[in-house]
Amino acid sequence: MSLVDRPFYSARPEWKDVEPLEQYENINPLAPILYTDEYKDATNYFRGVVRDGEKSERVLELTEHIIRLNPAHYSAWQYRYETLIALNSPLATELQLMDEIAVKHLKTYQVWHHRRLLLIQLRDPNPELKFIAQSLKADAKNYHTWSYRQWLLAYFNNDDLWSGELDFVDHMVNEDVRNNSAWHHRFFVVFQSGIRDSEKDRERVIKRELIYVKQSISLVPNNASAWNYLRGILDHNKLPYLTVQVFLEAYTLDTPPATGDIVDLENPPPSKEAQLPCPAAIELLADVHELQGAEGVGKAIDLWKSLRDIYDTIRKRYWDHRIKGASHREGV
Amino acid sequence: MAPTYTPTDAYPTSTSHIQRETEELLLKHLPLPRNDDTKALYLELHKTKHMQWLVRNLAQGFPARYVSQDASQPWLMFWTLQAFSILGVALDPGNKQRAIDTILTWQHPDGGFGGGPGQAAHLLPTYAAVCALAIAGRPGERGGWDQIDRAKMSQFFISLKQPDGSFLVARHAEVDMRGIYCLLAVATLLDLMTPELVDGTAEFVRSCQTYEGGFASASQPYFGEDGALLKSPKPPLGEAHGGYTFCALASWVLLQPMSDNKLDHINETNLLRWLVQMQGVEIELGGFKGRTNKLVDGCYSWWVGGAFALLEAIHGHHSSSSHDEEKHEDGDAGWVDVDESLFNREALQEYILLAGQHPAGGLRDKPPKSADAYHTLYCLAGLSAAQHRVFPSEHKSKELKSGWKGSDNSTRKKVFTEALCWQEDEAGPVFVGGKANRVNASHPLFNLTVTHSVAIMRYFYGQES
Ligand SMILES: [Zn+2]
Repeated sequence: MSLVDRPFYSARPEWKDVEPLEQYENINPLAPILYTDEYKDATNYFRGVVRDGEKSERVLELTEHIIRLNPAHYSAWQYRYETLIALNSPLATELQLMDEIAVKHLKTYQVWHHRRLLLIQLRDPNPELKFIAQSLKADAKNYHTWSYRQWLLAYFNNDDLWSGELDFVDHMVNEDVRNNSAWHHRFFVVFQSGIRDSEKDRERVIKRELIYVKQSISLVPNNASAWNYLRGILDHNKLPYLTVQVFLEAYTLDTPPATGDIVDLENPPPSKEAQLPCPAAIELLADVHELQGAEGVGKAIDLWKSLRDIYDTIRKRYWDHRIKGASHREGV
Repeated sequence: MAPTYTPTDAYPTSTSHIQRETEELLLKHLPLPRNDDTKALYLELHKTKHMQWLVRNLAQGFPARYVSQDASQPWLMFWTLQAFSILGVALDPGNKQRAIDTILTWQHPDGGFGGGPGQAAHLLPTYAAVCALAIAGRPGERGGWDQIDRAKMSQFFISLKQPDGSFLVARHAEVDMRGIYCLLAVATLLDLMTPELVDGTAEFVRSCQTYEGGFASASQPYFGEDGALLKSPKPPLGEAHGGYTFCALASWVLLQPMSDNKLDHINETNLLRWLVQMQGVEIELGGFKGRTNKLVDGCYSWWVGGAFALLEAIHGHHSSSSHDEEKHEDGDAGWVDVDESLFNREALQEYILLAGQHPAGGLRDKPPKSADAYHTLYCLAGLSAAQHRVFPSEHKSKELKSGWKGSDNSTRKKVFTEALCWQEDEAGPVFVGGKANRVNASHPLFNLTVTHSVAIMRYFYGQES
């Protein structure tokens, strides 16, 4: 739709009955925005319509126009929604319009929230998954898009909706193994949003996730997203950090260890091209040691010192804080 | 030694591509050779230029590209006025009055403030408008403070309350941690905090902490067959994020005086770890990022850099000096002392000074972006958080309590004293680039100066001397 040759509302006879409302009437505002004439005209009429409480087809046209000029105009969205409901407008048509507007304005809160409102009314969530996947192609870390997907799954919460989610997130992680939004989504799906029937065997699920994240780390060791996911699994399931000690150690060395032919799924070694040592592994190994009590603290302190002095100097004070805290508790 | 690139393990992805591009760009803003005397030149805070940039926006207005901020006019005002405050500049009485008159046009007849005249009331602009009035306003006729309709504002707040303790940001709108923070900050400033208002809110905030340690925008409630809210699951929607983490942590602190027995804790260990991990390494000039594996950005100087001070409030009050540790020895196991600087203050200042300043005035996300009002404030506020240590002081708290006029055991008294007991540690400021770069301290909970916070709260709590 072209907006270029659209005449101003003030020049359109069918809008003659609305008295436009200027933004600032009796004051000389400080720090004003220098609007375009088109924007000023449209919002003057919007204010007029809101003042009159009019809810009609032409209000839909007006609010769409304003949203296209400024998708963050939350009052236009709010009034549009109330108008749609008042007019009993076909919401499926509105959703189609949103498909187009969303793609243009992915970073706007309102675009995604309006969709939620429509979906709550339409109650047909399944086709949304494809739309969201498509949107993530344009912006793979878009916060609103991901939280919208998570909301959709949790709110409608039907098995059909959940069924492809692990494959989807695996695909997203494979596209960019450093995409933290995808890792968070995986955590959401596996651990935080309730347990689906197919995932009832938790021991199996935890084992699967541990192998998944360890494989990922072995491919790309310097990836904070994967390390945080590993920590997340351990914390959430109250697994002792000690259980990953063997896995970690190879990542704290200067060079990858020579590997034999035996494939150890539990402890995959760093790739040949890994840049070692990996500070995240040193950090986690220090945590493992610290939790061993008195005899471990000495080892933990040595690792923290290596982070402080060599491998992660920007966080010097944090490592000092860890050293101080552990020494204090153990009386070292 | 030249700083090294972030390792990619010979496995490039789009994240590592854009990260490398950014590192190369930032590297150009590192003065070479390092340790040269000329470094001082690069590390100058261009106060005059920034002031001129702010004055231009205020007086001439914002250019047309700011139409995207038409629903954020109170923010444009707040960002500008608070940037002045941090730079130590006050408006002249004429412009103050214009500011007050402008801000009052945004108040909605049914309570709260909107993004502009005739716009719907919304929690975010309500915070911005009230804070702008804290800076420019005063009691009395046309002063702005008495014209805030507090009764209607309370009704507006209550109308947004959800069964899980959260709040919509506006009618028919989303639940969002920023809105929770904005509501709690305003309720604290204007003496609108009540147990009913914030019933369940702390639990909601807690539920937004993710496995990474930071906080998400919201969490999703699940309801049982009988329609009752379930305690679990309550999954966070979205990953840990700097902006939401600041808002969640500040909310948590603002809610402290409202809870007698602390129920479930947030995971402070993971939170601290996540916060420090957000600081970029040397090649990123020590700036902060807002999420794992994303790029550094000047605005997180405040959202993440400013969050460290808030951590101190969770661990009770400190005695007057950061070096006095006896106080904390009996604290929680695993937490000896929140040191005065758990992040790298010097490095953060370097990021803001070297990369955050636009050569033509104003501050920014990162080069080569242009300056904008939002990044100008949050870079300056971040600089302030990196220079000064502001902490909740035991001494100040006692002083406020003994000076309190009115009923002794009231929640109001607790809200008032806990919000205002923050004090600057005079022993601790660090000024990278020299003392001329000093900016004012900002209150960690409100992002107002302590002076402005004290003045408006004393007025609304009836505690003027
Ligand atoms: Zn930013």
